[in-house]
Amino acid sequence: MSSIDTTNRPGKPGVILGIAVFTASLFMVEHAISMVTTPLDFSTEDAAPGTFPDTWIHGSKSAMDNEDPAVQVHAYNDHTYILRENKAINYEGAFMYLLFGNKKALLIDQGSTASPALFPLRDVVDGIISEWEAKHGQKTTLIIANSHLHGDHYAAWNQFVDRPDTVMVGLTHEEVIDYWGFSNYPEQRIEYDLGGRTFIVTGTPGHQSSELALYDTWTDLLYTGDMFYRGRLYLEDWDAWAASIKRVRKLADEYPVTHLINNHIEMTNTAKVDYPIGTNWQPDEPPMEMTLKMLDIAVDAIDDVNGPGIYKYDDFMLYNEIPWAYTTDQ
Amino acid sequence: MTKILKHPSILIKTLMLACCLLSGVSVRAHMLNMTNIGITVDAEQQAVITLRIDLGQSLMTAEDYWIATQAIGLEQRTLLQPTLDQLDRDLTFLLDGRVQLPKLTGFKISAISLAAIQNPLTPQMATLYYHLDVSGGSNLNVQLADQLEIPWPCLMKIDIVGQALPQSRLLTNVDRLSRDTLLSSSAGNLESDRLAQLAYSWSRLTPEFTWVAVGFQHIVPNGLDHMLFILGLFFLAGGWRPLLLQVTGFTLAHSLTLGMSMIGIISLPMSIVEPLIALSIVYVAIDNLFATKLARWRLVIVCLFGLLHGLGFASVLANIGLPQDQFLLSLGLFNLGVELGQLAVIAGAFLMVGWFRRQTWYQSNIAQPATIAIAGTGAYWFLKRIAF
Repeated sequence: MSSIDTTNRPGKPGVILGIAVFTASLFMVEHAISMVTTPLDFSTEDAAPGTFPDTWIHGSKSAMDNEDPAVQVHAYNDHTYILRENKAINYEGAFMYLLFGNKKALLIDQGSTASPALFPLRDVVDGIISEWEAKHGQKTTLIIANSHLHGDHYAAWNQFVDRPDTVMVGLTHEEVIDYWGFSNYPEQRIEYDLGGRTFIVTGTPGHQSSELALYDTWTDLLYTGDMFYRGRLYLEDWDAWAASIKRVRKLADEYPVTHLINNHIEMTNTAKVDYPIGTNWQPDEPPMEMTLKMLDIAVDAIDDVNGPGIYKYDDFMLYNEIPWAYTTDQ
Repeated sequence: MTKILKHPSILIKTLMLACCLLSGVSVRAHMLNMTNIGITVDAEQQAVITLRIDLGQSLMTAEDYWIATQAIGLEQRTLLQPTLDQLDRDLTFLLDGRVQLPKLTGFKISAISLAAIQNPLTPQMATLYYHLDVSGGSNLNVQLADQLEIPWPCLMKIDIVGQALPQSRLLTNVDRLSRDTLLSSSAGNLESDRLAQLAYSWSRLTPEFTWVAVGFQHIVPNGLDHMLFILGLFFLAGGWRPLLLQVTGFTLAHSLTLGMSMIGIISLPMSIVEPLIALSIVYVAIDNLFATKLARWRLVIVCLFGLLHGLGFASVLANIGLPQDQFLLSLGLFNLGVELGQLAVIAGAFLMVGWFRRQTWYQSNIAQPATIAIAGTGAYWFLKRIAF
């Protein structure tokens, strides 16, 4: 046994009071933090409003002289960001979506270019998230997901693998199905909660066998990825695509839809005319968002298609089970 | 070069030009001719590797590939041999950091026409099959040499029998080394554990150091409750001898339960262990404040708490999973890392406030407020852990 220096010790009541006060302070600080970060409300009756740009940045005649940002960022509203890869960097000009809920954000797709020097998607996304977190007093976990598993939509995936507070859904069909919770892909509808912001997710194979459509119950936007957009809809499995487009139509019957949003623009503003594959400059491109009327035309097109071939419509083209080399300008 | 660095826009433009030139070589809609590496590992830890690659658009000329597709038997193999040799050199499989040589077991090459091979939009993919013995290994990587140019990106999928999900990795012209793919059944846990990921990446350099690092990091910076317990011992009034005695007793005790728990002799639910660990912090802090002399039973109590903390360490280690072939060594090294972490906490505390231990105001101005804060934090954790 050795003695302990007990000089200047506080009395027992003082010590117990001190400990109690300290413990209570920790609870109060925790409560204060939770008060500051009041959850955002995504339960509006009507569709949350948002805007699209008049025109998207659409490349340039000379890719080398292009001065536009590598990633165009457009805030549809405070919690919905639409990103587009510069067409001068990759002709795909793929759209990507960064959607915020309480404490969670969903990045759908990661573009067509791997190099962070050419295409600093991670920096851009981190910048948007930091600003959003500061504005709304929340810390966000980022979900890295994909509309489907084609390389032009996940080329920059690796930029996020070492990002803290990030969930990588994965690039195999099995990982995708597991993350979203499908037990009956593609027919099943999944209710996905992005922190108070609910999405209805369903399978839409046909262009690619792991594709998804997402309906945002807050903005009433219906996202159709690569299976339906203003361009050449390359269909590797016609029966699957026909079932998918009907599935999307049924979803749109049951929920209010403001716009259909997607991944590419390949059409010109002239009906039935597309830009050639590989175009880095699309000065006369139509809006990205589409209408329910266009979706109806796609559903009706099921009756037109009677085998492999190219089927032209005003706002899209069906490239049904044919080699991709055959473009309409040939 | 200096000019380029001073003017980033020049660098970006140069890169964009290079990109455009490259894309001109292999324009491809939706990148359908991207490369795929599929790895399937069976119960005997034998891997079948399937490489799908657009050879006619990458490692061979379209004409050479067309001629090869039209040849048969040995002649076809002879025509492909330079390409197979190049793949052997430039496509490397690393098992726990050591280069492995997979054995080619077969290939399928075909094309509908030379024009189709020449057109990057109608990929005519070749499929090569390899066998690789991965028994005894825990970690598989794929590395593509800098000079290897293949249609990008390259998606790697590894499917291991017994694991619920495959693992996917993306290789690109800027990321040519896959992140680790873990062959053991605990890979799922490891995937989500940043600590373990770091440990496994270090393991390629110094396998032994890995487990020391994991143990150390479980104290600093991840083990705040263990750190507070050690600080509780540090702030006990008295000399160095009782402090060292208690830390040693604590160490021996938690080593005992850590080992027993990992072998499977004892186990206790974390819902019980975690609140008790919080309570142990409160106890040592209050004892610091109220004890008039250092009782021998305090050492016994600290050792008992050590047994408890050992169970906490074991839960972390169970999530990571120790390699079965080096179980005791890894366990010992993890424990060593924990001890080093504890010593680091004491050293850090000494550097910050230890200089003033002999000052008359040390107890009232530093040790006692700090100990009250430690007790308060322990009480907060205890209430949180039993209530939520």
